[in-house]
Amino acid sequence: MSDPLDTIAGWIAEHAAIPLLWHLGLMQWEDLAYGWALFAVYGAVQVALMYAICLPLERFFPIEHWPDHRVEWTDMFYTILARVGILPLFTFVLFFRVQAAFSGLLADHDLVAPTLERAIPALFGHPVPTFILYALILDFADYWRHRLSHRFRWWYALHALHHAQRQMTFWSDDRNHLLDDLIAALWFGVIALAIGVAPLQFPVLVLVLRFLESLSHANTRLSFGWLGDRLLISPRFHRAHHAIRAAGAKSCNYGAVFPFWDMLFGTADFTATPGMTGDPKADEALASGSYLAQQWAGLRGFLHALGVMEHSQ
Amino acid sequence: MRWMTLSLVLFSVILFSLASTAARAQGLAFVIDSGAAAISVVDVASAREIRRVPVLREPHHMALTPDHRFLLIGDTAGNELIFLDPVSGGVARRIPMPDPYQLQFSPDGKTLVVTELARNRVDIYDAGSYHLRFRLALGSFPSHINFSPDSKTAFVTLQQSNQLVAIATGSGDVRWKIDIGDTPAGVLWLDGRVLVAVMGRDGLAVVNPANGAIERRVATGRGAHNLFLSPDGRTLYVANRVDGTIAVLDPKTLVVQREISLPGGPDDLDFAPDGKLWVTRRFAHSVAVLDPASGKYEIIEVGRSPHGIWLNTHDHLPRAVAGAPAGHS
Ligand SMILES: [Zn+2]
Ligand SMILES: [Zn+2]
Repeated sequence: MSDPLDTIAGWIAEHAAIPLLWHLGLMQWEDLAYGWALFAVYGAVQVALMYAICLPLERFFPIEHWPDHRVEWTDMFYTILARVGILPLFTFVLFFRVQAAFSGLLADHDLVAPTLERAIPALFGHPVPTFILYALILDFADYWRHRLSHRFRWWYALHALHHAQRQMTFWSDDRNHLLDDLIAALWFGVIALAIGVAPLQFPVLVLVLRFLESLSHANTRLSFGWLGDRLLISPRFHRAHHAIRAAGAKSCNYGAVFPFWDMLFGTADFTATPGMTGDPKADEALASGSYLAQQWAGLRGFLHALGVMEHSQ
Repeated sequence: MRWMTLSLVLFSVILFSLASTAARAQGLAFVIDSGAAAISVVDVASAREIRRVPVLREPHHMALTPDHRFLLIGDTAGNELIFLDPVSGGVARRIPMPDPYQLQFSPDGKTLVVTELARNRVDIYDAGSYHLRFRLALGSFPSHINFSPDSKTAFVTLQQSNQLVAIATGSGDVRWKIDIGDTPAGVLWLDGRVLVAVMGRDGLAVVNPANGAIERRVATGRGAHNLFLSPDGRTLYVANRVDGTIAVLDPKTLVVQREISLPGGPDDLDFAPDGKLWVTRRFAHSVAVLDPASGKYEIIEVGRSPHGIWLNTHDHLPRAVAGAPAGHS
């Protein structure tokens, strides 16, 4: 699977990104341009895979029926922006800089930046178990980030954007406020530095995980069965998190890929019957506004929760 | 009788191991797959990848130790220096080292210069002990390295500062630093001059090593990235990243004699005993085995983003078993 995708990414780097950088006088970033091309190509495959698998599921085994699908276009825009577009490029440059500065600072004191493989040498040269361990740690961190984002009023004001969608589909995974994305990036950044994550080393596996996250938002009856639901998060499990009664501080099923953390910390609910989603308390602009209207409404709610801005009607 | 059988067996075992060592000593190429966290070991004779040595994160370049015992591989994001057996390809040792991007030993074998591209340091180590003598912050994205033949000066390109710096290896002092053009990359001492491939432009800058004066510029192709002198000293090759070509130059006059089309982002190259060039193609996860006479090439698939390449077939290597010299044609 990886070779043809690498070839396409290479083609984009060679024929589009690198000539552009050359004309702009930015050739020092050519290595990063190739990394971005890889990211974008794998992102495009994620989107294509989502489309090919989730669309039939939503068509033939839906939970909800809607008269029109206009509000889904915004979610589609979020997805493209997050998986193929500008956001990964930005994260890349930033993370590259921060990681180099961090490992350099350690090196100046004769220390070496930590990695899981150095802590557990047996992992070395075994990409699949290495990746699974990295994924478990990051997923655990994400559980707590997500759970806390429901706990604090200012944070949930941003996260409400994700919950406001009443027509939740496989496109809804990436609908997040930019500030919420930034907090998540910093959160992951710190963990990633502590365990030495190397995302480009496992592009196919990252692709699979991102696909699962999209699938978990799909408007479909699909569950993975009694055991399967307890091993990987299914659409049924995550829909309970998006249920109207679960919006805000008293929610359940915070996990993204693995349900273990919810089971371990007592927040799992496998019994809920799949139904409608949304956050009735959220500003209507968060639900049905344009991309910019959603971002603005999220920012307003955030500032209001902090007491910086008065509530205006 | 038993002794005779035993010695016969022993003798054949020794012969066999000698023969296999000789065979392997003739023919491995080491290709650093910077995007796959691995070293591809390629059998030169069959032009096929036979093994992949995993490393931690993101290796880019390598250097043979002056005693030819180890091939050193720098893992930048992994912050490690890996000691590889240049005959078998086995990993002998790894030591922590911050962000080793390019690494090169001085001609006298006493100094190792390592650039930390991502965090803007140039490190000067003792070649024998790997003890750090100087860590210098000279500019942004220090990259390629070369030396004066007397080993007293190291030349380093600063890719983001657009500069070339000359460093006294003994004291760590900067002799001079000049603006050289957009994104300078490969650097090579040639006949009393320093040649620099200027990747943001379309060719080489010729620099006077005494004072850093730029004497002339030579167009070779867009994105001139790195330059290599053939083992017989008669040909200079320049890999042009953006144009996807290898320019063939006369090293005396620096006149471009030919341009060979080689798409896929040509980067580093090494010379095989049969006169062919083994060129890494950064964007095409492969190595091109190029016949410079005909311009034709064959492709060997390797891992993602192959960068540094080195063949253990060079005839100055003492590890090549006597009686079976590698030799260049
Ligand atoms: Zn939530
Ligand atoms: Zn969700």
